[in-house]
Amino acid sequence: MMGRNFWGAIATITYKEFLHVWRDRRVLLAILIVPPFFTLVFGHAFEETALRDVPALLYDADKTGDSQRLVDLLRSNGTFLWKDWSGPGKNGQTGLLKAGAKAAIIIPAGWGKGLHDGDPKPIQVVLDGTDTDTAPAIQGVLQGVLGEFQMKSRDNMIDTLPDEVFEMGEKLPESVRHEFGSAMTPWTMESKILYNPGLRFIDFLMPGIIGLILQLLTVTLIASTIAREREVGTLSQLLVTPLRQSEIVIGKVVPYLVISLFLIAGTILLSHFHFAVKFRQPLVLALICFLFLLCSLGLGLLISAFSKTQTQAIQFSVFVLLPVLLLSGAFTSLEHFPDTVRMFSQFFPLTHFCNAFRLVNMYNAGISFIAVDLVCLAAGAALTCGAAAVLLRSADD
Amino acid sequence: MSEPAIWLNGLVKRFHSATAVDGISMIVRSGEIFGFLGANGAGKTTTIRMLCGLTRPTAGTGLIHGLDIWRDRFRARSTYGYVPQHFSLYSDLTVYENLRFFGGAYRVRKGKLRHRIDRLLSEFDLSPQKDILAGSLSGGFKQLLSIACALIHRPSLVFLDEPTAGLDPVHRQYIWDLLYELSEEGTTIFVTTHYMDEAERCTDVGFIQGGRLLAKGSPMDLKNRLRGKLLEVHVEPVMEAIPVLRAVPDVYGVELRSGRLRLQARDPEMLLKGWEKHWPYPHLCWMGHEWVDPDMEDVFMAYSLGTYEADSVPEELETAS
Repeated sequence: MMGRNFWGAIATITYKEFLHVWRDRRVLLAILIVPPFFTLVFGHAFEETALRDVPALLYDADKTGDSQRLVDLLRSNGTFLWKDWSGPGKNGQTGLLKAGAKAAIIIPAGWGKGLHDGDPKPIQVVLDGTDTDTAPAIQGVLQGVLGEFQMKSRDNMIDTLPDEVFEMGEKLPESVRHEFGSAMTPWTMESKILYNPGLRFIDFLMPGIIGLILQLLTVTLIASTIAREREVGTLSQLLVTPLRQSEIVIGKVVPYLVISLFLIAGTILLSHFHFAVKFRQPLVLALICFLFLLCSLGLGLLISAFSKTQTQAIQFSVFVLLPVLLLSGAFTSLEHFPDTVRMFSQFFPLTHFCNAFRLVNMYNAGISFIAVDLVCLAAGAALTCGAAAVLLRSADD
Repeated sequence: MSEPAIWLNGLVKRFHSATAVDGISMIVRSGEIFGFLGANGAGKTTTIRMLCGLTRPTAGTGLIHGLDIWRDRFRARSTYGYVPQHFSLYSDLTVYENLRFFGGAYRVRKGKLRHRIDRLLSEFDLSPQKDILAGSLSGGFKQLLSIACALIHRPSLVFLDEPTAGLDPVHRQYIWDLLYELSEEGTTIFVTTHYMDEAERCTDVGFIQGGRLLAKGSPMDLKNRLRGKLLEVHVEPVMEAIPVLRAVPDVYGVELRSGRLRLQARDPEMLLKGWEKHWPYPHLCWMGHEWVDPDMEDVFMAYSLGTYEADSVPEELETAS
């Protein structure tokens, strides 16, 4: 069965499929432009994770030296882009929406006095919580700024303490003195970042971006191949030849596999040179890419064999790709999802690709860590291609 | 007698509840030009698709060159070619690339393939167009290319599903000349058609209606079975006469042929006697009559109208079943 005939038949179909791609110049152009273009756009879009230039309002109702120091500190922080504001309205309305701001910060009157009277008043913050990411991030930044302010004030205070205080302190029992001293020293942590020491988000993201683009491209490209033949009528002609279904399926996968391998290599090189993403264990990464593309092409081919027309094939691909894009963990880690959804995501090739690729590239993990992902991808490829071959036969009934 | 090209016994195809082919039994001998006739939806294409192993028979058996049409379909396929009803080659491949692809698909050896393509190109007058995309060929040349692709592996049997539908008379003639040449070289031809003048050229024809094979025999046989001559009347104005005569109880069918009306009736001689005595339609002018030999069109009409009687079942069917 695996004789000269088998390979000859596959070569015949592969050559024909290459001609189809070659003759469709517009799609060819799109195939060549889309991956690098999107890699650049997505890469730059998510390069920085910290918030910057968040439009915000600031009003100092206190107008003391203390409040002015806090205002200076806030203004020097790059997170915010301060807008001119004359303070809240009569009913305390801030007019966030009208001002186009995400946060309004009000230093209440008497704030500076409260600090010295031992009765610090809270800073008032009004936040736009619609985007659930931004509000907590702003709160965090403000908390940090306040902490910094407080630290400076304390240092100031210690420097200016009268000598009597120290004399009084000497009289305290040693344990209390130590505890007090400890309380007055800022506590720190010594952290060591084991993986991704530069905390470069782009290094985490790049496998997701590459996988996402290739997932999209492979499925949509191959999804129309069998469906087109069925729609135009060439499938009957093809099935009347002595070609086996397996030969047709393999012959159709090979050209797209070759094309997408070139594309994935191209995007990887681009992200290496442009975003300085480092890649480890190139042979293992190549194996992951190969199995991922094979599995994705199988998925596309299955959709194609299942569809009656090209339109249907494209529609089905959209239905299938949508959850893949959102739930595969390409951009977020799967820990965000509940268990049932996580189980669901195990069915997507992109999930295993991202997981394995990151394990190898960021953790420099050995093959045993990614064995499960590789097996899943290989099994997926075999299952989808096999099912596509079976569906080819029952074209009529 | 040598092994028949096609041998069918009680072939049935049902789609859900509809029965497309309802128990066809017949033999097509090697070297025959077999014309498969029937109205649209009669079951012709479904039968061909079953024969080619594209769809599984619901019941019954069929053999092509002794190989089962479903179980042995992969082996059987190298012995026949199939020209589907609609143009279904690759429009974005050139004439030459299409031929080469099908040559590869039929596993023609590389050494032979080149020579064979060149011969087909010149035989089919396609040489000047060999580098043109198949999609930009005219209808006639598309059909020629389809046939050429089906012949690339030199099959001993070719199925052609309405090969001349929608073609101009010149290309129709050309294709039939080709079929004759093939037949002379010993290739069995299985062709479906709507054109009765084409049916006339077959060595054997079968009529299918509602999925059943109503008759099979040579065109001469079938015409003879119409028993005698047909009545053709000359009445003016002819278009007004058609509905009037169709309403006569014993008239099954009225057909316009070169200005005359050809009648299929239960007893045409009685009808004529009556009319010669008394012509009951004063607004229609009786200009005379003629007795004519039936042609295949009449046979087709007779079968379509169901006016054939049970005695016309060909004896061959019994031997097949």
